[in-house]
Amino acid sequence: MTSDKSFYEFISNGVPGPEQKVDADNAILPARKLAFGRFKELGLPTVKTEEWRYTNIQRYLKDAFTLAQEEQGTVTAEQLKAAGIPQLDSYRAVLVNGRLQADLSTLPTGGKITVSKVSDAAGNPQLQAWFDKHPHLQSQPFAALNAALFADGLFIEAGVNASLDKPLHIIHVYTASANAFIQPRHLIVLHKSATLEVIESAVGINDNAIAFVNGVTEVVLEENAELWHYNIQSTVKNSRHIYHTSTTQKADSRYHHFNFTLPSAELTRNNLSVALTGSNTETNLHGLYLATGTQHVDNHTFVDHLVPNCNSNELYKGVLLDDANGVFTGKIHVHQDAQKTNAFQQNNNLLMSEKANINSQPQLEIYADDVKCSHGFTVGRFSEESLFYLRSRGIGEEAAKSLLVNAFAFDITDQVHIPALQDFLAEKIRQYVAGAINN
Amino acid sequence: MRNSNEIIDDIANREYEFGFTTDIEMEMAPVGLNEETIRFISAKKEEPQWMLEWRLKGFQAFKKMQFPKWQHFEMPELDLQKLSYYAAPKKKKQLNSLDEVDPELLATFEKLGIPINEQKALAGVAVDVVFDSVSVATTFKEKLHELGIIFCSFGEAVRTHPDLVKKYLGTVVPHSDNIFAALNAAVFSDGSFVYIPKGVRCPMELSTYFRINAENTGQFERTLIIADDDSYVSYLEGCTAPKRDENQLHAAVVELVAMERAEIKYSTVQNWYPGDKDGNGGIYNFVTKRGICKGNSSKISWTQVETGSAITWKYPSVILQGDDAEGEFYSVAVTRNKQIADTGTKIYHLGRNTRSRIISKGISAGHSDNTYRGLVQVGPRAANARNFTQCDSLLIGDRCGAHTFPYIESRNSTATVEHEATTSKIGEDQIFYLNQRGIETEKAVALIVNGYAQEVLNQLPMEFAVEARKLLSITLEGSVG
Repeated sequence: MTSDKSFYEFISNGVPGPEQKVDADNAILPARKLAFGRFKELGLPTVKTEEWRYTNIQRYLKDAFTLAQEEQGTVTAEQLKAAGIPQLDSYRAVLVNGRLQADLSTLPTGGKITVSKVSDAAGNPQLQAWFDKHPHLQSQPFAALNAALFADGLFIEAGVNASLDKPLHIIHVYTASANAFIQPRHLIVLHKSATLEVIESAVGINDNAIAFVNGVTEVVLEENAELWHYNIQSTVKNSRHIYHTSTTQKADSRYHHFNFTLPSAELTRNNLSVALTGSNTETNLHGLYLATGTQHVDNHTFVDHLVPNCNSNELYKGVLLDDANGVFTGKIHVHQDAQKTNAFQQNNNLLMSEKANINSQPQLEIYADDVKCSHGFTVGRFSEESLFYLRSRGIGEEAAKSLLVNAFAFDITDQVHIPALQDFLAEKIRQYVAGAINN
Repeated sequence: MRNSNEIIDDIANREYEFGFTTDIEMEMAPVGLNEETIRFISAKKEEPQWMLEWRLKGFQAFKKMQFPKWQHFEMPELDLQKLSYYAAPKKKKQLNSLDEVDPELLATFEKLGIPINEQKALAGVAVDVVFDSVSVATTFKEKLHELGIIFCSFGEAVRTHPDLVKKYLGTVVPHSDNIFAALNAAVFSDGSFVYIPKGVRCPMELSTYFRINAENTGQFERTLIIADDDSYVSYLEGCTAPKRDENQLHAAVVELVAMERAEIKYSTVQNWYPGDKDGNGGIYNFVTKRGICKGNSSKISWTQVETGSAITWKYPSVILQGDDAEGEFYSVAVTRNKQIADTGTKIYHLGRNTRSRIISKGISAGHSDNTYRGLVQVGPRAANARNFTQCDSLLIGDRCGAHTFPYIESRNSTATVEHEATTSKIGEDQIFYLNQRGIETEKAVALIVNGYAQEVLNQLPMEFAVEARKLLSITLEGSVG
């Protein structure tokens, strides 16, 4: 299944349905077919589509791509190391082009937490119950395309009261030898009072071909469950990413999501949405994007307050260099019944070059009166006063700027609960600032 | 003390206080919209050929356009063919003083609490009374004339100052800007024209009271204000409309041009008929207002208090073209029953060191929906541009909505843009505090709402601030969250 020229054309008109898929799994096939119909109905977005007005997706899809379900690359230990996080003690699930590689992975065993391929778990009642059911995914064409034609991914299920002694690190490796359109898909279900820490990172090992990743992760948190969900986005420059993360939270559950977009893929589009269907929940969404070159980073978040007494907090910060493009659209929707909601949202941006630019749409849509909701947005450059203060105390310009960017990012990195990950991010920020100042 | 539900019900059920009609003979255009209608209007107004051509251009643009779909409310069915596009009082001789104005008309204004005579004495306000589209009285004209200020009806300006009108008409809001602006360009009835010459500071607040009166008549005002170098003008616009059962469309256009170091202050108090408590009737207020700071160090400031209309849908904008130019937008929008407001501003920073400030206060009660929608755009040339935006929403009752949809587009790294928005109800602790000090709940709420809107009301000229405060308390006193 290769498009000859424009993939956008191919996918709009010519793409064959899921029944053509070589390894179409029977148990999921009905859901795939449903999603395919939805995709056909929705069609691909254009810049006229409100949700995509600042991201011209056609531009990134005009190349030729192969729908890479068949491709299996080989991965060396050396390459895997590049994707790792130093000093991190964790379980490890390695996925090559969306498929779990058992020989490269160290999965938790014997406990109440199971990690398996979606294709192997197709008949699982939890998977059947939750797969592609999240309400916010229904209107997303790329999520529908993923559901219809995804390669494979992980199904993670944590039983009642289950927890792990260390985090689970999911490493994606993209090996495509020619331009490839790769669609991984995960479903994470945490049963009552289970807790889990998941870190997701990705590495591309071929600079010559473009990897277009269209990924979806669905998360379900049952009563009192807690998930720490870290997503580190740093692959090769010529890759392009659209990622949907959709979470359903039931009563008393806690969800902490982190998005770190580091200098890497030329396109990153994150669609993060949380539906709060049970009361007394806590939701923390954190994002940090550091962009260079002609990178385009687009974060869309949506917090849907459906029931009373929920708290949500959102903080996204960005530092943009060169010709980088930042987009932030955050929506808080408070339904009529969702009284006593506390919902906060903040987006701050630091532009470090003449040509970097940012488009932001922080949105509040509120139908209940007894709520506390706010959003804030800022964009600016280094404060001259702060720089002068530091320099007058004998700190060089480079060190002073580095200090200021670190301080700017600190609000996010400070929330990270894993020390090795915190160190890793601090090092990335240091490299980034050094690169920025040397230019 | 009454309980909160009673108070809310009482307010929700309150009838529109200014609902009455005045019987003055009207001359109507035939119902419907086509080229003939436009030629009829133009001929009635004895317009020159270029004006007619411009109208026709607007009509051509209008025919190609569709109603927008992005707004946060359901667009009512509008049959533009069922409207009559021209209505003028038949009595049309030249008037020199208020004594010559139709007494019935004067009585109408008296009922609104804005008697011309009193105002004349009060603050030296020159009132250009627009009564269903055509100006019938202009006061203080001679005094303004001495300073070289032109303040007249649009129709008169077309006759007496065609060069100025030709030069600026449609330069800020083009005839093809949006469907309602195009409609206005084609059929606009009349409006006001202001020109302040170089170096002149207009000594009085210029004011026009708009009223929609004739049944089934859309009102299509067009206002053009030009402030030449180093001049200053403050312009007031206030609206109240009589009660009607059929929805009426109001699609006005306001264009402001500020040249070098000039300043224009434009204030609006809008209290058109909002419909009854079930959402029947009421005015559709779809207005295009835009100003351009053409010269360096010029300034345009919009202030609006919006309490009326079934649907208020407008975004008074400022284009900051000159360096060091400044734009301001202050707004209080109150909605209740089934009213809808989708309003805000657009600020385009093009010049260097341009500054803008947006303060928006939304208050929603009953089953209403109140949306702030705004755009702050910083262009690549706008070094050191500065914007501060604050949008607060107050919810009264659990069946209303308050929404904030800002768009921020920054293309210059030296720009600083800040936006903040909050949504909350009136705090029980605040009410309790005031109760404790012997202030009853009804008055406490009025106090809190007034304090909440203070920042905007302070921007209004004195006479308007009084009316605005009155409107706010009529609408919202005693609403307990």
